[in-house]
This record gives sequence, C-alpha cells and structure tokens, in this order.
Amino acid sequence: MKLTQAFKNKEFVITSEVGPVKGCARNGHNAAFIAEAATIKSYVHAINVTDNQSAVMRLGSLAASVLLKHAGLEPIYQLTCRDRNRIALQSDLLSACTLGIDNVLCLTGDHLKLGDHPTGKGVFDIDSVQLLDIARGLNQGHDMMGNDLTAASDLALGAVVNPNFQPLDLQLLKMEKKIAAGAEFFQTQAVYDPKLFEAFVRKVEGFGVPIQFGLVLLKSPKMGKFMNEHVSGIKVPQALIDEMASVPEAGYKDKSLAIATRLLKEISPMVQGIHFMPLGWSDLVPQLAATAQDASR
Amino acid sequence: MIGTAKKPFDEILAALQGFQKIGMVGCDGCAKVCLTGGSDEVAALAQELKAQGKEIVFEASPERTCNMAKAKPILDPLKDQIQASDALLVLGCGGAVQITRYVTETLGLTLPVKTGLNSVGHMDTTVPGTVAVEQCQECGDCILNDTGGICPVTKCAKGLLNGPCGGSEDGKCEVDPARDCAWVLIYNRMVALGEVDTLKKFVGAKDYSKAAKPRTLYIKEGRVA
Ligand code: SF4
Ligand code: SF4
Repeated sequence: MKLTQAFKNKEFVITSEVGPVKGCARNGHNAAFIAEAATIKSYVHAINVTDNQSAVMRLGSLAASVLLKHAGLEPIYQLTCRDRNRIALQSDLLSACTLGIDNVLCLTGDHLKLGDHPTGKGVFDIDSVQLLDIARGLNQGHDMMGNDLTAASDLALGAVVNPNFQPLDLQLLKMEKKIAAGAEFFQTQAVYDPKLFEAFVRKVEGFGVPIQFGLVLLKSPKMGKFMNEHVSGIKVPQALIDEMASVPEAGYKDKSLAIATRLLKEISPMVQGIHFMPLGWSDLVPQLAATAQDASR
Repeated sequence: MIGTAKKPFDEILAALQGFQKIGMVGCDGCAKVCLTGGSDEVAALAQELKAQGKEIVFEASPERTCNMAKAKPILDPLKDQIQASDALLVLGCGGAVQITRYVTETLGLTLPVKTGLNSVGHMDTTVPGTVAVEQCQECGDCILNDTGGICPVTKCAKGLLNGPCGGSEDGKCEVDPARDCAWVLIYNRMVALGEVDTLKKFVGAKDYSKAAKPRTLYIKEGRVA
C-alpha cells in the first residue's frame, strides 16, 4: 500500500526502519532484520529499508524490501544517489515497482568517506531533488530524457529533511524544491529538542505535505555523545545525555522509553506521523506507537 | 593552477629502478608555485638521487612544461642529453609528464618518462607558499553565475546542485568538519548579494557529456570536442 493513501485517509502514519544484514540472505535465511520487523508488523504502516546506510556495504535495499514484502510487511525502499548513475537509478526504480514496491524514499546518501569503503568513487551523478523529479517522470510514463516507457511506474515518493540544519531557511529552500519535484511525504532527521522541532513545523505548515517526526532511540549516554561527535546533522542535548547517565546501565532501556515517550507526547500533535529508528530496540516500538497515536488525537 | 604533491622518495626510486642515467625535467609554472617541481626542487631531488648512486645527465625547468611552446624550445636543444639518459624524471603535473613524453617522441627518441609528483587538482593558491584549494573540476558547463561564484560541483563533497545534503553541521561539511559546507557558503553569499531567489530554481541533471573525456579544445574556434 502506498503511504500517501494512509496520509490521505488522515491516518497518523507510523513507520520504523531496518538495516539489511551485511551478507547474503538467500531464501530469507540469516535475515534477522526481517524477523525484527515482523515483530512490529501490526503496529506500523511500513518499514524503511536503508540503502547501504552510512556508506557501509550490505545486502541491497531492493532485495531486502522484497523480502519484507514477502513477509507481509510494507517496505519503504530507500534509494540513494551515492552508488548509482542516472541509468541505474531509473532502472532500479522500475525494478522496484516491478517487484511490488509501492513506496520509495529518495536520498542523496552518506558520503563514502564515512563508511567501510572510503577508497571508492562516489557517483552522485544526480541529486535528491533531481531524483524525485526523475521518479515522478517514470510515474508519468517517461524516462528523464523524455523517452516513453512501455508502462509507467506507480511509486509513492518520499523525501527527508533535517530540522537541525543551520541556517534552517537553506534546508527549507531545498525541501520546497523537493516538494516541487514531486515529494509526497517527508521523514525528518532525528530531533531531540521539541522547541527546535516546533520552530521547524511553524515554518513548513504551509507546505502542504505530510511530515513524519524522525525518532532515533537514544540507547545510552555513550551513544548520545557519539552522535554529537561523529554523526553530522544530529544534536543530542546534554541534558538528555545526563538523564540517561543518571541511571545504571540496566535501566537504559526504561530511560530510553521514558525520553522517547516525552518527546512523542510533545511532538506528535505537530505532525502527521512518526518515523522510528529503533536501532535494534524494535520491542519498544509498539508501546511508543500507541503513545504517539494517542498524543496525535 | 594544477596542484601537485611529491611522491614518496621510495616510490620514485622504485620507478627508476634499473635506470642509471637520469635526465630531470621540472616545471617553473604551477609545480614551482607548489614547491614540488621548480628549478630548486629539481636540484634538490637531483642531489638525493645522486646520493643513491644515480647519474644526473641534465636538469631543465621550462617556464610551463605543459605548454609545447615553452617546453620544446628548452628540451629540443637537449636532444643529445635526453638520448644519453636511461630515463627522464619529470617533476610536473600529469600534463607536463605527457608533454615531455610527446617532445621525446617528436625528437624520434624512445625512452621511459617517469613522474615524481602526484597531480591533485585544479587549485588556486589562497595563502601563497602555504595553501592551495581545489576550485574547479572543469565540468564544461560553468554554473558559477548562479552560485555566487562558489563552485558546488567542486567544493561540495557530493557535487550537489540543488542545495545542501542534511549532513552539514555548524556550517561544516559532513565529510570533514575542518571544511566549510559549500552550500552554506553559497547561501550566505547569495543572501548578501540579494540573489537567494536564484537558488530556488530547480537545477536539472548536469550534462556530463560536456565533461566526457578526453576532451580536445580547438583553440582558434573555441570549440570543444
Ligand atoms: S561549475 Fe564547472 S567549470 Fe565552473 S568552477 Fe565548477 S567545475 Fe569549474
Ligand atoms: S555537508 Fe555541504 S559540502 Fe558537505 S556534502 Fe553536504 S552539502 Fe556538500
């Protein structure tokens, strides 16, 4: 099912995320990420499948998306511009539609230097705005050069936006270009500061696209520190890191749940859905999804 | 300018293995600015090679070794010395090395032409003698008119054309926090110039056929093919 349909139905749209394994998952074997996703099947509308996230080489997001589909879950196929030129991107979009994928999230992709193949050549032939425009063209029955397709694709087009970005107006300038290029829904980068998120929402209210708040579960004080130091574009307030550190390690999960619950209560009323990035703690998603649903009403 | 950096001495020695008599060609253009291949650096490397038992047949540094008009008048008169060399070692950019090779061919000589430098980009010196920064990828379709005179093709690590990725933080690039995010620079400059609306326009996929290598420039006609 297309996510856009759920938004149209005024549903509060919950998605989560899995990262494909670093290895072969033939016949669904060694596919722990499928099992993880399956446990939250009835609590989410769809599951994002990351595309060689952080530029770490893994099982492809298309194959993993198809496995999810076979397991009865709705995948959101993430497609980055880092590793494919314009021919490969268009071909992969047609492949995705052919294999039953309904949703695609169009991204630039993390730079190779951040991953496990830093000596590779980044492609970046196309940027995320152009990719959306191209994907819309395929949906309309033509490739980016204007050549007719035998059959058009039919994919709901998602995009990302980072509310932490400074200057925010520059990030919003790009967001508006994405909308004009065909983006039908947005998932945000992880934000831990409700005030900052509110300022963002105020500015995009008139854009007319559904937005899902991105929530990365904070799993430990160390992870918060790591994200601040090494993950560009995410800021974890020191107060949250201290709050995590105020409990013994055995209490991290409960604390994580408490922090996420608080954030969701404040932010859910401002958005049209939540995108969870649980990093292995998918077991917290059902309860959090319920909290978000309640808070959104 | 073409930026160059010295290859490790061991790598140069390995490239010259089996060659005793070495002719040395530097470049008093870009490589001189980079302190990698001007006459001084040629002389210094000649001393090091001698200390390793090599014979240096000649040292020459044309004003711009990449330019036939400058290289040939210096190298042609050295034909005998070139012929007496087992190999040439060029301290210049990749262009200088290949033009030197070409000159030897026009002289009817066949001998190995080796390089002692790595070419590292179309750069410009921002702090003389200290820092040169990559400025241009010679994309064949310059968009500086629309980006406040700052090149995103080169200065954005991903070459993005429609604005920044989400990875920029505090104005720095996700790839290297020591480096400014090109798109924040472009945006700030366009704000200062009162031209932000230009950035709101959709920029279509770049025509990379204009950068398809190897390109030839027909100078008189201004034609690229
Ligand atoms: S837009 Fe192209 S030609 Fe202009 S500076 Fe950048 S790379 Fe060079
Ligand atoms: S942080 Fe800025 S310069 Fe670096 S890749 Fe992203 S947009 Fe380009």
